[in-house]
Order: sequence, then structure tokens, then C-alpha cells
Amino acid sequence: MIPLSYNLRSLTVRLTSTIATVVGVALVVFVLASTLMLSAGIQDTISRNGGRGGAVVIRKGSDNELSSIIDQNKVGTILASPGVKKDSSGQPLGTGEVAMIVMMAPASDPSGLSNVQMRGIDANVERIRPNFEIVDGRMLSPGSDEAIVGRAIAGRFEHLTVGDTIEPKKNRPLKVVGVFTDGGSNMESEIWGDIDTVRSAFGREGLVSSVRVQLEDPSSFDAFETAIEADKRLGLEAMTETEWNDKQSQFLSIFMTALGTTVSVFFGLGAIIGAMNTMYASIANRQKEIGTLRAIGFRRRHLLLSFLLESVLVALVGGVIGTLLALPMGLFRFRILNFVTFSEMVFTFRPTVAVFVTALLFTVGMGLLGGLLPAIRAARMSPVEAMRD
Amino acid sequence: MSLLRLAATNLFRNRLRSILTMLGVSVAVLTFLLLRTVIWAWNVAADEAVPDRVVTRHKVTFIMTLPKRYVEEVRAIDGVREATWGLWWGGREPNHTSEFFATLAVDPDTWFDVYEEMIVPPEDLAAWREDRQGIIVGDLLAQKFGWEKGDTVTLESTIYPGDWQFHVKGTYVGTRKTVDRQTVMLHWDYFNEQAPDTFKEQVGWIVSRTSGATPTEVGRRIDQKFDVQDIQTVSQDEATFQRSFLAGFSMILLAINFVSGAILLILGMILGNTVAMGVRERVPEYGVLRAIGFLPSHLVALVVGEAVTLGILGGLLGLALGYVVINLLIGRWLEENISGFFPYFNVTSWNALLAMVASIALAVVASAFPAFRASRLRVVDALRRVG
Repeated sequence: MIPLSYNLRSLTVRLTSTIATVVGVALVVFVLASTLMLSAGIQDTISRNGGRGGAVVIRKGSDNELSSIIDQNKVGTILASPGVKKDSSGQPLGTGEVAMIVMMAPASDPSGLSNVQMRGIDANVERIRPNFEIVDGRMLSPGSDEAIVGRAIAGRFEHLTVGDTIEPKKNRPLKVVGVFTDGGSNMESEIWGDIDTVRSAFGREGLVSSVRVQLEDPSSFDAFETAIEADKRLGLEAMTETEWNDKQSQFLSIFMTALGTTVSVFFGLGAIIGAMNTMYASIANRQKEIGTLRAIGFRRRHLLLSFLLESVLVALVGGVIGTLLALPMGLFRFRILNFVTFSEMVFTFRPTVAVFVTALLFTVGMGLLGGLLPAIRAARMSPVEAMRD
Repeated sequence: MSLLRLAATNLFRNRLRSILTMLGVSVAVLTFLLLRTVIWAWNVAADEAVPDRVVTRHKVTFIMTLPKRYVEEVRAIDGVREATWGLWWGGREPNHTSEFFATLAVDPDTWFDVYEEMIVPPEDLAAWREDRQGIIVGDLLAQKFGWEKGDTVTLESTIYPGDWQFHVKGTYVGTRKTVDRQTVMLHWDYFNEQAPDTFKEQVGWIVSRTSGATPTEVGRRIDQKFDVQDIQTVSQDEATFQRSFLAGFSMILLAINFVSGAILLILGMILGNTVAMGVRERVPEYGVLRAIGFLPSHLVALVVGEAVTLGILGGLLGLALGYVVINLLIGRWLEENISGFFPYFNVTSWNALLAMVASIALAVVASAFPAFRASRLRVVDALRRVG
């Protein structure tokens, strides 16, 4: 095999061209890694919703909480169904919630209007959502005109700061008393109020949007689902929290991945052509060297391998730089409208192993594609002709 | 031999490199056009909004409804020429529940007067007004489900329980491409009678057409009138309404803008690299040219001229590719499948011009440094390398 140091030295001889190729690849990988991180962030954020191993019940035929309406008096029946976990005092672990949307003006653009999800919760919420935590101020008192806001949107919209008030219904202001987190889930893009206060503000007395329960263990979901869906009069549908969360994130995450991949492929094509050009020029300049290498006994396949390695090496340097540049994107928050819930959610870019592996594979692929044709040309040179020039 | 011809001839010296550079530039131009087209297509619906239409909805949230009596109050406001209302009904075809389309409960007497861009044949419109169970359907949707005039169809609602039977009374087409041709319009009265008590006498939004006052002014009058009542409203002209929805995606658009800037950087780098390689290889020649009397400015013109020629050729190729890929492939697919989201998807002449200007400008910028180096060569040093 031709030693790698040969390639390394060749690369430093034409430093400007090498740098141009590296920067091109880095830009492509930066864009790819960023979109993959965002897509991972969307999936991850929404999958953190809930206690895992729980179930969600909505009205049959509704795709989302907004169009789901369940009578409060059915909540008892749902909680009494088989499979629902009970606490030490025999109380079923579950709660009905009401989900609404409010229009708010972003703090950055007070004349604009944006949709934010608002949820009516009861005292059971902390038992159903084990990651729930107050990080500023205090928890709202049951039955009061108080609200708490998720950390992701606190301060991002007008009035969403502790001590301020919001007015979902005229003359019924809600006082913001705290900021909460929920293990990084999409709940952190919501405003929560007491269930009865929210219901009366929106004219939904006696109704809930969804019922969330803890299960005895994941395998008891089947029994729970059968019980819920067998009773046709209830007109309800049960799904596991995982299934429910997937439904909420599916569209957005597919959309982001498709957009990012399409752009990266076109982008990558441009960079591959650029790399190919540099490689051809560099091989043309090394004609005599190639002839010499052949003359002293290196075979065609050695040359092919050597030049492919050189190209992959350049790409990898670019790829690593691009990925490293994408890492600080984790500090940014990406605000986007989720089509499923019609409300704005805040996501972060999340670096995962899968993101890096994909970016790395893409990089190696770019290096191979860019180097293949020039390397074949180098391997095919006849040593006599090459040395004659 | 003129300088221009010399520059052009240089392109044929290393054909492979010139072709690859042109391809690289054209792919970059294609990507740039694609991204610009996405941004343009995203905003085009707002640009085509009808200027004299005002949408009034619940102040707190779009999922809450307004009392029906508000319609009459809006009609009485000075500056409102006519008004109609709609209600989101959330319809689905029971056998194709994943196919999304809009279903609206509307006022048959006034709806199509306000939405003049939806065209229904007069006899179908009259028949629909007569039949309380009648629906008017977008022609694309009717085609998709194979619905014909006179058919009885069953729809379910994601909001209101039960199976609902309707009679297809006709289809509408749009006068513009931004009109969604996959909407179902049913009688609000028919729904209202059977609606659960909490949903009776409610409308989702009120749409007014204005005259004698600006839409913004009329919107302000409407909101002022309801401000003292139990339920307040927010009124926006149609373009603002559309834009406030688009604002939810503003960060995606920002990201796309950023990426289209990055693609220009790559374009510049591909060109610059090629020019730099050429200059490096031609140092002896430049020495000879200088020795026989060419000035440094001639060399600059030679290098920049070659780069600009590459930029123009690559740009033109990119435009041609762009028209094929964007207008014929992607655009057609979007139109046939999700016309509601991207009614228009094609290369505008403005974006085509922008792409050409960008590739020429980048050719100049990218060749500036190599050209400068060529012009500063000392004749003696350059000639020393002549073999």
C-alpha cells in the first residue's frame, strides 16, 4: 500500500484547493447535521410527553385533542377500566385534561398573533407526569384563577412572565404564578390552568379533551383498550402514550427530514463536483509521480485505493468540521407551528449518535463519489506515458 | 486575437475541468432556485389575497365560535358591503380517513357572493340552495373520490359524532390557482338543526367585503363594536390573516434563506477553485504575454473573463435544469397531490434573474484574487518557469 503520508503531503502542497474542498464539504455536512438534529429534537421532545407506559383516551374519530370532546361523566368509567394502575389508597392513577388554543402576541413582535396551547389540569397532574417540576414561582392552587407556563415559552410571548396576567376570557384574568418544566417535553410550550377555570373560560363546562391514565404494566394495555373500545356508547378510542406521541410528531418530523435531506443531496452534489475537479487537477499535476510509483512496483489497485483514501480523507476533515459547527446549534431554540396541534412549539437541536453516524456516512459517500473517477483515471495511466511528460 | 476570444479559448484547454465547473455551478444554481421557489410559493397565497375582505374570529382562539347573531351586527356596520359566515366542520370520507380536505358549514345564500373566486354553474347553485342536504364540492376532490352530481355520499366529522348523508349538487372551480379546489360546502342550517345544544347558533368566522373604508378601518370598527360584549373578536384583512398563519413557519423560512446563502458560497468556491488552478498552471504563459507587451489589466480581464464565461454558462445550464426539475417535475407533482399547500410552484423570472446575477457576481468575486495574483507576477519570475 502507498503510505498515507504521501497523500497528506500532496494535500498540503495545494493548500488553497484543499481548503476550498474542505469548506464546501463542511457547509454541506453542517446543513445536513443541523436538520437531522432538529428532526431528532422534534421526535425526542414529543416522546418525552407523559410517564411512558401510560395510555391516552380521546373521542373516536378525532385525530387530536382539539377536536376530541368527552363528557366528564365518562371519565369515571374510563378510570375504572381494567389495566389502570391504582395508588396505595386504591385511587386510580389517571386524569381528564382539557386542551385549548389561545392567541398570543410574541414578545418579539407585539402586533403579530400566534397560537399557543393551553391545558386545564387538576391536582393529579404531578402523579401522571412524573417529570413535572416547578422551576420558578409556585404551583397553581386548585380551583383558582392562576396559571403556570412552560419554560420553553415563558417570556417568549407577551404577559407570560411570573406576576403578569393573561385574559382568555374578558374580566376573568389568570395570574401567572410559576414556570414549569416537564423533562424537556412539548408540554413546556404550553400554558396550564386549573381545569375548571379553563373550562369555564372556554365554555366547555362538563367536558374534557382527553383522559390520560397510568397502566399497571405495558402488557395491560390490550385489556384496557378492549374495555374502552368494546363499549360503543362511550364512542372512545385508546392508544398507548408512545403511539399518541408519534401521531403528534410524525408529520412535522417527516417534513423536516424530507426538506433537509433534499437540500443536502442537491448541496452535496455541488460539493462532490467541486471535489472531483480538485482531484482531477491534482492527479494531472502528479502524472510523473504516478508514473514513478507504477514503475517502482505499485499496482493499479494500490493507486486506486490511495487516491480514494485521499479524497475520503479530505471529505472527512470537512465532515468533522461541519458536524462540530452544527453542535452549537443545540443552544438555539427553533419555534415552529405543529400542524397536528395547530399551535407553536419550541424545539431544540438534539445531537444523537444516529445523527453523527448519518452525517459521517454521508461524508464518506461524498468523498468516495468525488474521488472515484479521478482515482480510476490515475490507476489507468500507463507508467511509460506518464513519465514521458 | 481579441482578449475575449483568448479567454473563451482557455475554457477548451481543460475541457473536463470546464465541464465539471459548469455542472457544479448549475447544480448550485438549481438548488438556489429551488430554495427561492419554496419561499416564494409559501408567500404567494398571501400576495393573492382579496384586498377588500376582512375575516372576523374569536379574539382568544380560532377553535372557539362566535354567536350567529354577530353576523347581523357586522352587516349593520358602516363600510361592510356584504358579509357571510363559515364553520369548520372537520369532515372525512369514512373509507379514506387519511385524505385531508376542508369541510365548511356555510350560508348558501351569501357564501359564493363573498367568495367570488369560486365558480359554480348557476343552475347547480340554485339546486344546492334548494336542497338542505346538498353540498358543493371542489372539482379536484370530486374527481379524487369519484363523486358525481346527484350522488348521495356519507361523511363523518372529527368534531360532531354520527354519520351524515349529503347530496352532491355540483362542483366549483377556481378563478385563480390559489383557490383550494378540494373543499366541501354544506348548509349551515342543516348542521345547526342537528348540532348538539352547546354548538347551536354558532359560527366559526365572519367574512365581510368592504366599501367606502379601508379593510383595516372596517376591522377596527367591528372589533370595537364587540369589545363591550361578552365575546370579543379580532378582525384582520385577508393578507394579514394569511401572514399571521405563515408567521408560525418563519423560522423554517429563515433557515431556508440561510441555506440559500450557503449554496452561493459553495458556488463561489467551485468557481474560485477552478480559476485558481488555471492561473497556477498558466504562470509561464502570463509571463510570455507580459513580455510581448500585454498589460497587467489585460491579464485581469483574461482571468475574470474566463470566470464570468463559466458563471454565465453554468448559470444558464442551471436555469434550464431548474425549469425542468422545478416547473415540470416537482411543481406538477405538488399541483396534482397537495395543491392546497403549494398552489403555485415554479421559477419566477425574478428568481431566475437573481440566480443569473448571483452567478455572474460570484464569478467576478471568486476570480478577483487569482486575477490580482496574475497581474502582480514579475515577468522575469514567470518566464523562468517556461519549459
